[in-house]
Order: sequence, then C-alpha cells, then structure tokens
Amino acid sequence: MLFAQILVNGVLLGGLYGLMALGMALVWGVLNIVNLAHGALIMLGGYAVYFLFTGAGIDPFAALPMAMTGMFCFGYLLQRLLLNLIVRSALLNTLLISFGLDVVLTYVAQWAFTADFRAINPSYAGANITLAGITVPLARLAAFAVALLLAGLLWLLLNRTRLGRAIRATAQNLVAARLYGVEPRQLYAVTFGIGAALAGAAGGLYGVVAQITPYVGTSLTAKSFVIAIIGGLDNPLSVVLGGLVIGIAESAASLYLGPTYADVISFGLLVLILVARPARSLRMA
Amino acid sequence: MSSRWGVPLLGAALLGAVPWIGDETMMQFGIYLLLVAALAQAWNILGGFTGYASFGNSTFYGLGVYGTAIAMAQFDLPFWVGLVLGAILAMLCALLIGLPILRLRGPYFAIATLGLNAALSALVANLDIAGRNIGLILPLTRHDVLFYEGLLALLLAATLAVAWISSSRFGMGLIAIREDEDAAAVMGVDTTLYKIAALVLSSLFSALAGGIYAYYVTFIDPASAFDPKLNVQMVIMAVFGGPGTVLGPVVGAFILYSIYQALASSISTAAALFYGVVIILAVIFMPKGLVDLGWGLRRMGPRYLLETVRQYRL
Repeated sequence: MLFAQILVNGVLLGGLYGLMALGMALVWGVLNIVNLAHGALIMLGGYAVYFLFTGAGIDPFAALPMAMTGMFCFGYLLQRLLLNLIVRSALLNTLLISFGLDVVLTYVAQWAFTADFRAINPSYAGANITLAGITVPLARLAAFAVALLLAGLLWLLLNRTRLGRAIRATAQNLVAARLYGVEPRQLYAVTFGIGAALAGAAGGLYGVVAQITPYVGTSLTAKSFVIAIIGGLDNPLSVVLGGLVIGIAESAASLYLGPTYADVISFGLLVLILVARPARSLRMA
Repeated sequence: MSSRWGVPLLGAALLGAVPWIGDETMMQFGIYLLLVAALAQAWNILGGFTGYASFGNSTFYGLGVYGTAIAMAQFDLPFWVGLVLGAILAMLCALLIGLPILRLRGPYFAIATLGLNAALSALVANLDIAGRNIGLILPLTRHDVLFYEGLLALLLAATLAVAWISSSRFGMGLIAIREDEDAAAVMGVDTTLYKIAALVLSSLFSALAGGIYAYYVTFIDPASAFDPKLNVQMVIMAVFGGPGTVLGPVVGAFILYSIYQALASSISTAAALFYGVVIILAVIFMPKGLVDLGWGLRRMGPRYLLETVRQYRL
C-alpha cells in the first residue's frame, strides 16, 4: 500500500516535471540553445498565475491560458530581439547568455515581487480523494491532467500542423528548411515563444502544488535539463515519460533513503543512462 | 624574454606586491580574486582547449578542500601533506571518471559532470571522516600573506602550463579535438589520452586552489566545497576573457570579479542585475572573448563589433 502511494505521488509529480521539461527540450532540440533561464521563465509564469488569482480572483486553472499567452509574447520578443543575435555561435555562448538572462530575470522578480514565498491556494487546494486506501490530492491530479493535455497538444502541433512540420524541419536541417520557404527568424521566435508558454503553464501549476520564490528557477532548470536528456529531444510524449521516471525515482528515494538523496538519485540515474547509452548520446551531440 | 610577456610579468610583480602596499580589505578581495582566476585558468585547460564544458571542476576543487581538511582536522598532519593528498585524490578521481565520462560530448558531458558533483557532495555529506553534513574546522592561522602569495604562485603556474600547452604538440591535439574530434582521431591524435591528460591537469590545479582556500577560510562543509555556482563562475570568467587563450581566463576573472565587487559595494541591490546585463552584452558583442575583442579592435577598429554580431546572428 505504501508503495502504491509512492507510485501515485511520483506519477503526479512526474507529470508536472515532464511539463517543465517540455519547453526546454523543444527549444534545445530545435534552436540548439540549452536555455539556463528556463527555470526563470517557469518562475515568471508562476507569478503571473499567482497575481491573476490573488489580484483578479481568476481560478488558477482558468488563468493558465492567459499566463501562457503572456509568456508566449515575452518569449517571442526575447528570441526575436535578443537571442537571434547569437543563436549561431558556440554552445558555450548560448549557455552563457541564457545564464545572464537567468540572473536578470531572477533579480527583476525579486525586486518586483519580493523574496516572499507565494503559494496559489484556491478553495480546493487541500481537497483529497481516497481510492482503495490511496490518497490523491485533487489539485495535483488536476495539474497532472493539464500537464498531459498540454504535452498531447504539443505533440499534435508538431506532428499534425504545417507550423509543426516547419519546426521539425528546422530542427533537422536549417538550410534545407530555409530552401523550402521557412523564415527562420520568425520560426525561431515562435518556437521559443511556445517553449516559454509551456514554461509559464508549468509555473502556474507548480504554484498550485508548491511554493514560488524568485529563486526557484535554478533548481527547476537543472531538473528540466535532466528530464530533457532522459526523455530525448524529439518527442514530447517521451519527455513526459522522462518526467515520470524522475518523479517516481525521487519520491521513492526520499522515502527509502531520506530526502537529501532525492536530487542525487535523479542525477545518478542520468549519469548511468548517459554512460550506458553512449551511441545515442554521441549521435545527438 | 620577448616584449609579449612584458605586461603580464609586470602585472604579476605588481600583484605580488599587494600584501605590502594594500590594506586588509584589499587582501581579502585579492585572495578570492586569485582563487577564481586560478580556477578559471584550470577550467580553461580542458574547457577552453578541447571545448568540453566541464561542470565537474568544482568536484576537483571540493576534493582538494576535503583532502586538506581531513588531513589537518582529523589526522593533525601538516598543511603541505593535506594539499598533496587533496591533489592526489582529485587526480585519481579525474583518471577514474575520465574514461567513461569523456566519451560523452557537448551538453551530455556537461550534465554528467554536474551529476558527478552532486553525487560526490552527497557522498561526503554522509562520511564520518569528512564530518558529514556539519563540515570540518581547520586549525586557525593568520597568514593571509602566505595564502595570497600561494594562490598567486598557483595562478602563475597554471598560466605557465597553459602557455606551454598552447604552443605544444599536446595543445595542438587538444585544439584539433575541439574543432573536429573525429578528424583529429583520423589524423592520429590519441583523443582519449589527450582528453584525460587535460582533465587530470585541470583537476590538479583546481584541487591545489581548493586546498589553499580551505586552510584560509578554516571552516568547510559539503555545500560550500562542492558548490556548482563556483563552477559556473569559472566557465563565465574563462569564456568572458577568451577560452583557449593564455591570458583570457585571468583577464576575464579580474575584470568580472572587480566589476561585481564594485557594483556590490556601490549599488548593492542592483549588482546582480548589472552583472547579468554585462554577461548578456559580452556574449553579443564579444562572442570570442575579451582577448579576441582587443585583438580585433586593434586590427579593424569598431567594425569588429559589427562583424562578430553579423557572423552569429540568424
């Protein structure tokens, strides 16, 4: 029974982790930018939903689309005006510029929102359902469902629409995609915008199940990074699967080994996977 | 000794004189500055020359810290023994993990080293001999001049090593690996041996820096010894100055750390903001680092800025 509970906790947590990593994997796979500011974008989305809820009284789940729209515009402009200037240089440079962005966004958030812990607490925040002795927190279940829904929508967008085909073509070969009429500046900005919107949604849901501060970004970036690698960069559904693996491993580790080991487990798994599957890693690099 | 080395030598002599002309604050500033400069230079040996972005250099630094701390606090051994012990520990670790991890490329290598750092940090936090989570306290000393000069000597040694590398066959092999590893292997470079040698050399300097700094701060714990943020600093400073150059990482460390300290003391609240903005602007206008910027400006003036932006924009 305990094990089943851990499994449920892990799966619910893992779905949200998967959503966090979706945007990072998309931007990484298509633009070849390892976005260290991804966690900061998640954090900003969390604040957007928080203020829509506390300021305007909008239910957090209804506020998600608004936060996503805002984050899309922000991400679009960021890529169009800033990151497009540097996107063709070495990986270290894009790492560095996104680190600079992370520092700036974290500072601005701290200045504008203060360092207080904020949690989004709708009336149903503490509600549970109990099924066969397993407790399922409703808010987490809803967050999990939304995460799956968004991953499914992203899959549909990438595989069933013209825009998605352009994005996938660009990821495979920028020059060839250009020859077929893809305008890369626009497409890169749209892709980064989608990544930011997904980060925003993840942030809103994160605010419902946990607490947001201006500093959550760094650890969420690290987690998204790990999951993006485990899941691979080409398929949103496998990214969600990667999130589930990490979510389950972490909740099992914090029970059996103690909470200090939760992060070690996710990193340890990662190193094992990397070393055991070198052919794939080499090809992807 | 050609004139090329005149300015750096003069700079080193001036730095060496700081303990006699500066005050207490300047010493503290200088010791940390020399620490990060030496670490950035050590990172440069692998990261700058081979392009393998290591986030595990804080691991080697941490092993140097703990080698010294365990020897001094647990076994009452002299400082020098601890320093050597830490360096051996770090080099062994580099040798052992180098083989599986250096097969990974690009971001995969980066994240694997980051994972290694997290794992070792947790391991140390559970070892009795390393003081578990609480950390260790080293015997107190007040020899700031010694620490300062020690770190300066280490920085000079690391810089000389890099200067040798950049003009040697070994360095050419490392650069070939950075430009195209498969081609380098075909040309007869023993890529595995070269990469591991660079990693071990890098780990040696990182561990020595850690050992000296541990004795200086006298209190250490896993969180500060295996701090990934310290590793991020090494990368930023080396890349800012010019990765794969001899003086770039040192210049980058000096400039960035000075800017940060100046901002922190004058407009403390917005220091982080300006630091971030400096990094963003630096990447856009000097993607090849400060050294290349200075060289390019001399050669073609302000046109250099436009040219580099044009080269990397979409």
